[in-house]
Amino acid sequence: MSGLGLLRPRWLALRGRWRRAGGGERRRSTALLALGAIFWAAIFVFFARVLAYFQGVPELGPVLAERLLDLVLLSFFSILLFSNVVTALSTYYLSEDLGLLLASPLPAASLHAGRFLETLWDSSWMIVLFGLPIFLAYGVVHHAGAGFYLAVAAVLPPFLVLPCALGVALTMLLVRVFPARNTRDVLLLLSVLAVALLYLSLRFLRPERLVHPEAFADFLQFLAAVQAPTSPYLPSSWAAAALIPFFAPRPGQQSGLAYLALATSAAAALVGCSMVAERVYAGGWSRAQQAKRARVTRLALWDRWSSRLPIAPVSRALIVKDVKTFWRDPTQWSQLVLLGALVVVYVYNFRVLPRAGAFLARFYLEHALAFLNLALAGFVIAAVAVRFLYPAISLEGRAFWILQSAPLELRRVWWSKLWSGVGPLAALGLVLLVLSNRALGVNPVTMWVSAVTLALMTLGIAALGLCLGSLYPQFDYENAAKIPSSFGGVAYMILAILFIGVNVVLEAWPLWTLLASRLLDRPLSAGQRIGIAASFAAVALIDVAVFAAAARIGIRALESRRE
Amino acid sequence: MIELERLTKRYGEFTAVKDLSLRVSRGEIFGFLGPNAAGKTTTIRMMMGLLQPTAGRIRLGGFDLAEQPLEAKRLCGFVPDRPFLYEKLTAVEFLRFCGDLYEVAGPAREARIAELLETFDLADWSGELIESFSHGMKQRLAFTAALLHEPSVLVVDEPMVGMDPRGARVLRATLRSLADRGATLFLSTHSLEIAEALCDRIGIIRSAHLVAVGTLAELRARVGDGAGLEEIFLKLTGAEDLLEVIQALRA
Repeated sequence: MSGLGLLRPRWLALRGRWRRAGGGERRRSTALLALGAIFWAAIFVFFARVLAYFQGVPELGPVLAERLLDLVLLSFFSILLFSNVVTALSTYYLSEDLGLLLASPLPAASLHAGRFLETLWDSSWMIVLFGLPIFLAYGVVHHAGAGFYLAVAAVLPPFLVLPCALGVALTMLLVRVFPARNTRDVLLLLSVLAVALLYLSLRFLRPERLVHPEAFADFLQFLAAVQAPTSPYLPSSWAAAALIPFFAPRPGQQSGLAYLALATSAAAALVGCSMVAERVYAGGWSRAQQAKRARVTRLALWDRWSSRLPIAPVSRALIVKDVKTFWRDPTQWSQLVLLGALVVVYVYNFRVLPRAGAFLARFYLEHALAFLNLALAGFVIAAVAVRFLYPAISLEGRAFWILQSAPLELRRVWWSKLWSGVGPLAALGLVLLVLSNRALGVNPVTMWVSAVTLALMTLGIAALGLCLGSLYPQFDYENAAKIPSSFGGVAYMILAILFIGVNVVLEAWPLWTLLASRLLDRPLSAGQRIGIAASFAAVALIDVAVFAAAARIGIRALESRRE
Repeated sequence: MIELERLTKRYGEFTAVKDLSLRVSRGEIFGFLGPNAAGKTTTIRMMMGLLQPTAGRIRLGGFDLAEQPLEAKRLCGFVPDRPFLYEKLTAVEFLRFCGDLYEVAGPAREARIAELLETFDLADWSGELIESFSHGMKQRLAFTAALLHEPSVLVVDEPMVGMDPRGARVLRATLRSLADRGATLFLSTHSLEIAEALCDRIGIIRSAHLVAVGTLAELRARVGDGAGLEEIFLKLTGAEDLLEVIQALRA
C-alpha cells in the first residue's frame, strides 16, 4: 500500500460522517462554513485596505508592503514549525492505529510517507486557508498578473513541506533522546523550544524600529533599515523574496535565486527527514511503548485547599478532578509555558512603543493604542480559552460515561467547568490590560471603560468556548494539544473574533467622544450623552445575550449527548 | 427492580433493539445473553441513560428513567465492557470522586474504599495512577467504583472480560453475596458458561429481539433434554448451521 492509500480511512470516515449526519448537524456545519467564508472575506478586506493605505505613502509605502509580507510569512513559518512538531507526535507515536499498521507487512517508507502527508495536512490546512486571502489582497491591490498567482502556487508547497520535514525529524529525534520517560513529557521540551522560537521571532521583527523613525540618523538610514529582510537565512524571507518581484518589480531582485534556496532546502529537509525516519523511528516507537509506570504529582496543598471551597461537594469533586488531571498531563500544563511567553511579549510590545512627540499626537496615539489594547486583550483571552476552556468537555474523554450514568445533572458539570475557567481568564485579561494601559499612561476613563468591557467580554468569550466545545467534543482525542485546532476550535476562534470586533466597534465612538470632551474641556451635548449611554448599554446587552445563549446551547448539547 | 417495556432503539434504518420487554426481580441475578451485535450493549446503555431509546420505557427501582433520572441512577451501579476511567487520577482519588458523585462521604466512604480495594486485590495500587493499570486491574477498579455506594441494581456489561481466574472467583463470590443481600444484578455476556455459573435466570437476545427467557433448565427443556450449553446457545441464537459445522469438524 502506498503512503496515499493510508489516508483513505480518514477520507472514508469523513464521507461516512457527512452521509450519516442528520439535518441539524448538516445545517450547523453549513452555518459554520458560511461563518468561515465571512471571516475569510474579512481578512481579505482588512489586508486590501492596509495595502491600499501603504500604496498612498510615498517612498516608504511599497517597502512597508514588502515587510508586511515578510512578517506574515515569518509568523506562518513559526506557527507551522510548532504545529508540525505537536501533530507529528500524534501521527507518528500516539495514534491508535499504529499498532495495526506496524504489525502489517507495510514497508516502513510507505508508513512514513502516509504519516508525513497526514502531518502536513493537519498542520497546514488552516494556514493555507486563511493565508490565501492575504495573497489575494496583495495581487488585487498591486494589480499583479497571473504570474504572481502562479508564483504563490509554486512557493506554497516547499514553504509548507520544509517546516513539516523539520518538525517531523525534530519530533523523532526528541522521542529518541528521551526514551525512558513517558513520551508525552517530550512536549515540555517542545514548549520551551516554542518559547525560544517566539522570542527569536520577536527579535527578528524589531517592531520598535519600524514605528520609531526618529531613532535613526536620517530618513535614508531608516529606509535602509526597513528594506533589509528580517533575516536573509530564514525560509520565510526566501519565500517573500520569491514573491515580491511579481507585485513590486525593482531592478536587482533575485526571485529565482530565493525560490531555488527555498525549494532545495525543502527537498533536502524531505530527504533528511526520510533518513531520520529510517534510522530512528522504529527504535523510538518501540521504546516509547516502555516505561509506562507514571510518576504521581501529589498536589497535597491543592487537596487541602480545595476541601475548604464553599461549594457543593459534587462541584468541588469535578473541579478537583479537572485540576489534578491538568497538572498531571504534560500535554495540558506545558501550554502554560506558551501562555507565559505570550504575556511577556504582550507587555514588552507596549513598553517599547514610542512615547515622544507633540502632546496631541501622543494623546491620539496612546488612546488609539489603548483601544487596540482592548481588542488585543480580548483576542489573547480567546486564544487562551481555545487552549484551556474549549477542550474542557473533550477532556472528559471516553470516561464521559461515568458522569452520564451518575445521578448528576450535566448542567452542573458545564457550569463548574465554566466558572473554573472564567476566573483565571478574567484575571489574566485584566492584568494584561491594566499593565499595558499603565505603560501607555491612559487616563482613568479609558482604563475603567476598557476594564469593565473586558470583564463582560470575558464572560461571552468563555461561554462561547465551552459552548462550541460541547457542540463539537472530541472524546477520542489522542493528544490534548491538538483539540484546539479541530473544526470546532477554529469555528470558536472565528466567532470569538467577531464577538470582540462587535464590542470594540460599538465602543469606539462613545469612548472617543468622551475623551474629546475631556481633552477640549467641552461639555457633552444631550444627544451625545444619550448616544454614549445607548452604545454602552448595547455592549452590555450583547455580551449578556451571547453569554446566556452560549450557556443555553452548550448545556443542551451536553445534556442531549446521548446517541 | 428492573422493568423494560417495549424498549426499541433505531439508528436510521437499522434497528438495534426491538420491542424488548423484561422484568427482573429484587435479589435476582439475570444473565443477558446473545451473540455479538445482537443488541446487548445497546440495551444496557439505554438502561444506564447513555443512550436515548427511540421508544419504550425503563423503570429502575420503581423510578422512570426518563422522568426521574437522578433517582433511578442513584440506585444503580454500572460496569461497562471497556473500562475507560480517569487515567490521571490514582485509584483512591477516582473512588473518592465516585463517592462524591453518589453522595457517599466521610469516614464511612474511606472505610468502604479500603475494604473494596482489599477485596479486589488493588490495595497495593491504591496510590498509583490508573494509566499504569492493566486492563484487568481497570476492570476490577470499575467494579470497586460501581459497588462503592452499595447499589440496589448492578448492571455489568461482559463481567469477565479481562479477569484472571482469581479475579473471576472473587467477582463471582461478590456478586452472589450482593444478590443474597437483596441487590438485583443484570449481567450481559456472550458466554453461556459464565451465565450458567452466575445467573438465576437468562434472557437471550438475537438480532434485536428477545427470543427466550427462563432458567437454564427451562431453556434446556425448550431446546431438547440432554443438550449441552453450546448446543442450547447456538440453537437459541439461531446458529444451527454453525452447530452442524462444529459437529462435522468434531467427527
